[in-house]
Amino acid sequence: MSILSVENLCKNYGAVQALKGVTFSVPTGSVFGILGPNGSGKTTMLGIIMDILKPTTGSYTLFDALPDENSRRKIGTFLETPNFYHYLSAVRNLKITAAIKERGEEDIPKVLEMVNLTERKDSRFSTYSLGMKQRLAIASCLLGNPDVLIFDEPTNGLDPVGIAEIRELIKQLHQQGKTIIMASHLLDEVEKVCTHVAILKKGKLVATGDVNEILANDDIVELGAADMEKLKVIIGQLNGYSNIKEQGNLVQLFYPVGTTNLENINRYCFDNGVVLNYMQLKKKSLESKFFELTN
Amino acid sequence: MIKLLKIEWLKIKNYNAFIILSSFFALGVVAINYVIYSVNKNMFSEVSAAKMIGKFSPYDFDKTWQTTSYAAGWILLLPALLIIMLMTNEFTYRTHRQNIIDGWGRKQFIEVKMMTALIAALLSTLIVIATALIFGLASCTSFSLDGFSHTGFFFLKALTYNMVALLISVLIRRTGFATGVFFIYMGFENFVSQLLDVWSIKLRKDDGLDLGSMGDYLPMNAADGLLTFPDNPLKGLARGVMPTDYTSIVMVLCAAYLVLFCWWSYNRIIKTDL
Repeated sequence: MSILSVENLCKNYGAVQALKGVTFSVPTGSVFGILGPNGSGKTTMLGIIMDILKPTTGSYTLFDALPDENSRRKIGTFLETPNFYHYLSAVRNLKITAAIKERGEEDIPKVLEMVNLTERKDSRFSTYSLGMKQRLAIASCLLGNPDVLIFDEPTNGLDPVGIAEIRELIKQLHQQGKTIIMASHLLDEVEKVCTHVAILKKGKLVATGDVNEILANDDIVELGAADMEKLKVIIGQLNGYSNIKEQGNLVQLFYPVGTTNLENINRYCFDNGVVLNYMQLKKKSLESKFFELTN
Repeated sequence: MIKLLKIEWLKIKNYNAFIILSSFFALGVVAINYVIYSVNKNMFSEVSAAKMIGKFSPYDFDKTWQTTSYAAGWILLLPALLIIMLMTNEFTYRTHRQNIIDGWGRKQFIEVKMMTALIAALLSTLIVIATALIFGLASCTSFSLDGFSHTGFFFLKALTYNMVALLISVLIRRTGFATGVFFIYMGFENFVSQLLDVWSIKLRKDDGLDLGSMGDYLPMNAADGLLTFPDNPLKGLARGVMPTDYTSIVMVLCAAYLVLFCWWSYNRIIKTDL
């Protein structure tokens, strides 16, 4: 079953095309990152899925069925900004959310505790700091323990401790078997928490699939030796890598994911009279991959 | 719908502006009628000019319903203002989006707002009925339901004000701007309505053509036109030159405008990006 399936989604704002025929689907149990620079259409897409924006063309399904308010009630969603009644306290705001979601109020103390807001639960929302507002929005998503969560830039405006806490929370939720859809422009955030990714660029889907396939399609082995000239000669005769580059004082060998055997390379060099003084296996940097995909 | 209204009540009950505006309205209805009541009782009856045109007691039973409804009609801006604040708050706090994200349909979101506007009109009418009853009883006349239909006209006027307020809020979304437009529109419509009324009188006088008070055919003035101060002897004298009040036509128009306002607000929420 796919939690969310998007089919050829387009959205125009006047002459501006915010989404240009995006198609992908989110498998159950995944942490699905929607990655893209600012203005790439991430929030627009999530807005359409939540029925607050109307698509120009295209369609989508939630839980393999046509979406309606019942399917939205089964999802905890935090979109763009924390939206609450400023004149009400956290508890009163969450009571409204719980009632709309048709869940009981018994979860409220628990979710406030999960995001460390228990002490300020009776303060008005307008007195909260940005980070607290953000955490209240996440608490409201967790009401009723939904199986699917959608977070749009969940760590925006949080301090480093807050960011680490939220990422930890997302990992825990994933371990509990929940499906999480997360939009982010932060590369390392997606790399750290996501299992799957869709990359958007100016409203177009550039790539989608398993994070390891999309974001790291090459293993890089960096080698260094006292006699670099000899190393280059013997490495030239080695088989199995797809590309070779010189990077400063090092030689870089590119292998398809999972095919690298460091032991064999080391032995080969030693047998051919070169003693390595540096050897490291690197995943292709996410950042470089991101720039490669979006530029 | 009860479930939706309960949620709406959670939003409203701790909102200071709600408490302030509704108390002002309730007190205002009593106060404005008390002023007319005491002016009429203590001063008007003492003036010799008043004696000349005969006895006139606007709070005697059968007239009390009309007088109270008419007088209370002047402060219907207060509930309308509350409706504007409740609706534009949703846009300001972006909770209109959140309500839908959390599991309301767009339809439910706008329906419960319309229902709130309807309930506000009903409660305003109940306050008017209670006030009319108190002043009627204070006038020491025997109870009568004659003229009670005027409280119905008051309800129509209250509902019209609330629905116009709702429509303007849905279209404009920002509290200050929406309130401004509401007032400017009211002023503008009143101005046009006065011109039309003068024209109506002229048509009748010059061409013998009685089209009624045409000012009453405009959206907010339709409900206004239904609510008049009770006929006193002076007003009776003026009747000869005034066009006829086509009450049933104005009522139908009023209802038609209400349908239009509701349809427009509903469509706007259902069909556009939120």
